[in-house]
Amino acid sequence: MAVLSPPPPAVAAVSPYKGARRRRFGEQERFMALLIAPAALLMLLFQVVPILIGANASFRDWALYDPKRTWVGLKHYVEVLGDPLFLTLVLPNTFLFMAVSVGGALCLGLALALLLNRPFRGQKVVQTVLLMPLMVAPVIAAIMLRWMFNDQFGIVNVVLEGLGFEGQPWLAQRWTAFAVIVFTDVWLWTPWFTLLLLAGLQSLPREPFEAASIDGAGRWATFRFVTLPLLRSIIVVCAVIRAIDAFRTFDIVWTLTGGGPGRSTELFSLYAYVFAFLNLDFGKGSAAAMIGAGVILIVGVLLFRVLDRLVEVSR
Amino acid sequence: MRLGRRALFGLAVGLVCFLFAFPVLWLILTSLRPQSGVYYVHRGTELTLVNFAAVLQNERIVQAFVNSALISTLATVFSLMVTVTSGYMLSRFRGLLSRTWFGTIYVFRCVPYISWVLPLYFVTQAWGVYDSYTGLLLPHIAVHICFFSWLMKGFFDGIDGSMEQAALLDGCTRWGAFVRVALPAAMPAIAALAVLCWLFTWNEFLFALILTGQKTPVITVVMAQFVHEMGIEWHLMSATAVLALGPAFLLTLFGQKYVIRGLRI
Repeated sequence: MAVLSPPPPAVAAVSPYKGARRRRFGEQERFMALLIAPAALLMLLFQVVPILIGANASFRDWALYDPKRTWVGLKHYVEVLGDPLFLTLVLPNTFLFMAVSVGGALCLGLALALLLNRPFRGQKVVQTVLLMPLMVAPVIAAIMLRWMFNDQFGIVNVVLEGLGFEGQPWLAQRWTAFAVIVFTDVWLWTPWFTLLLLAGLQSLPREPFEAASIDGAGRWATFRFVTLPLLRSIIVVCAVIRAIDAFRTFDIVWTLTGGGPGRSTELFSLYAYVFAFLNLDFGKGSAAAMIGAGVILIVGVLLFRVLDRLVEVSR
Repeated sequence: MRLGRRALFGLAVGLVCFLFAFPVLWLILTSLRPQSGVYYVHRGTELTLVNFAAVLQNERIVQAFVNSALISTLATVFSLMVTVTSGYMLSRFRGLLSRTWFGTIYVFRCVPYISWVLPLYFVTQAWGVYDSYTGLLLPHIAVHICFFSWLMKGFFDGIDGSMEQAALLDGCTRWGAFVRVALPAAMPAIAALAVLCWLFTWNEFLFALILTGQKTPVITVVMAQFVHEMGIEWHLMSATAVLALGPAFLLTLFGQKYVIRGLRI
């Protein structure tokens, strides 16, 4: 599976242009620049410039009630990093959310991809149904789930009470609220894993599976020692991409709980949002966002290394 | 025994499907209930289409549908155009420029949207494109560049480069080799990304919220406006949401085969 491969090695062994490079050096660079020019220009205008403005703001006292934009250096960074709420609640919440929801969606997505990879009657219908969360806007899904988990009118409590259990005030307790957030995220993102892993499964070579069945390997052994190692690279890259996204999750948490009860389910994006948009302290909000970006940058690289090593060893 | 196993398998599959579809089914059911009945969706039996009629008579909502469709389609076309070339460059060339570009893409993909949307609002206002189609479209193209370039690179990595080399030796220009040889080979992957990009843009909320004023309503923002201080207008919100599901459902229904084939290569 070459769909999602890691960064290119610094020294390439084979390049189709190796011969050409020696003859027309400048021409190749021009072609390369031309290929990335439109993308680079758009990114510069609508991503790099805004982010640089944000980065600049993070070093200033920039607030709606104080538009002087005084340079304060690292003050906001020190404040955020010294905030006990950030260190003991927001960061652990974010990492827990990242681990549980990515892990959950990955396992569920893999199970469903394995299911869809074998032919059975109605496979097409089942596949369409399982891809359904992909069609729903995350905001709408979150509003809908908040409604379903409503303590008075929600269907979940109605069903629980009908079965003789006690209804829960789901979104008013820290851990149940957290569980609802994770549940929503897993529901929304499982199809994404299913799609990519199903595509991966269908591209696997047949021979190793035939060899395994000749050797008399059972289903579990085949999965454990043939399927899983072959899917290694795609699993790793999918998980890392999704983990980076999960780290900056905003809309579903904002819609489901708004960080509550209290600030107990606040993730890092909400923490930055509260400063920038609710307290209208844009400088501090930007500093929090920059710290988050730095954390995920490092975690992303580490995660990539660790996961890759992990799957390598298990083979 | 065999029959029992098959029944068990069917039952399990059915249960999983039901759980996956349930929030959507619940949404559809809510949209069919009259305003007085939305709080007791599970109890009433009264079903009606008045919510849909009310939504379709609202000019702003209809306008939002048109806008969303337009923005999603144009954003898909343009973001594929710019990311195909950028992914191709990442896949086929080595060296400083390539490594720098890859690093840039990785770093900027990690920056959270939160640190991005508010300055984006300032930027679009300063350039006079706020609340216009251009101001909505260009950031929606930019938002996918990092991710899609990465995916495109992967697709081109899976395609053998020797054909292009042969074309070059036969006197084809570099551009010609890309357009005539590499591009056709990458078509399934491009189709797959087109489907995903359209769905992502159609469902996108945060950027649309910040960049939408009075003139360019889009569908997700309009839906969210049914949630306000006084509570949620469930009957109208769910009807709009069901209507918004329609195009996405059709696209998924007919596009899933291309997505799975395209991501496979």
